[in-house]
Amino acid sequence: MQSAAGDGQELSPQQGWEDLHATMDQLRSSMYVAGTATILLVWGAIISLGYFAEYSFTTFLEDFAADRPWIRAPLWFGLVGLGMVASALIGSRAGQKTGAGDAARSAGIRTFLFWATIGVAAFVMPAALGLWDEGDAQRIAGVSIGIAMLGYILFGIMHRPIIAVVGLAFLAAYFIPYALAGDAALLYSAVLTAITAAGGWAIIRRSDVL
Amino acid sequence: MTTNETLDLDETIHQPTRLRIMTLLAAQAAADGRVAYGFVQKELGLTGGNLTAHLRKLEDADYIAMSKEFIDAKPRTWIEATDTGRQAYARYLDHLRQALNLSTPRPRRQASPEDPNTNQPKLW
Repeated sequence: MQSAAGDGQELSPQQGWEDLHATMDQLRSSMYVAGTATILLVWGAIISLGYFAEYSFTTFLEDFAADRPWIRAPLWFGLVGLGMVASALIGSRAGQKTGAGDAARSAGIRTFLFWATIGVAAFVMPAALGLWDEGDAQRIAGVSIGIAMLGYILFGIMHRPIIAVVGLAFLAAYFIPYALAGDAALLYSAVLTAITAAGGWAIIRRSDVL
Repeated sequence: MTTNETLDLDETIHQPTRLRIMTLLAAQAAADGRVAYGFVQKELGLTGGNLTAHLRKLEDADYIAMSKEFIDAKPRTWIEATDTGRQAYARYLDHLRQALNLSTPRPRRQASPEDPNTNQPKLW
């Protein structure tokens, strides 16, 4: 098949066809991950704050939390709600910078719905498992974080592997202290999660992968 | 506009970088359809000089238009495919499909000769 010459670069029709689809795939993926580095940082801060609050309930505020076992629900609802609003604003702003039209809006809505589904699952699954009872409340964070990080891993597999890696690091930041650090586990998790988010943000920004 | 005589492929578009630029612009032709210069540069991994050189060729062929505006006191350059550019890209796709013996996909809506977006690849 004949190739067309252009500015010193040969391009066969087959290569042209493949280039065209590779560009479309890349563009589609880029719209989904618009603003992800900053969103990652926000969620790192939010999860870290949540862990620290949980740690405070079992140490500094033991009596307060014992009288109000339901306190974890509004805490996480509030934090997750704040995170979702912040993520939507950051993603929307990042999308506007690309100047893309309907396609970017569609990608933004789909991304929001994906994470909203993960967020709802992170609340519904512990409820279905009966963990919102007083005695099991401390296990909610583990189940919820597992579901949320599964979201990161799936999203990363679909769009950018670095997001999946950060998801795995978030998981490790929770479960390794949980297995090894005893009563101080959530404090370690809070610190490790903040470090993971900041490290992930720095790597993503420096490597220009998003 | 020059064309490859055997395959009838528009050589202004049938060049690796310009094909990717036009694909990127055509894919976002819906709504306002313009794309930030920095976004194109990042997506395609090009240097500023290289991108500008290719954009100039596309602009000379009246396939794209560039505009500048200030957002948050920072200058931003926008690129968009012109109607001529979108029609040329649609023709290029038809010719590419013919060259590869691929069937032309049925348009999602009634084809209109006045609408250069008809038959162009859609992101969704």
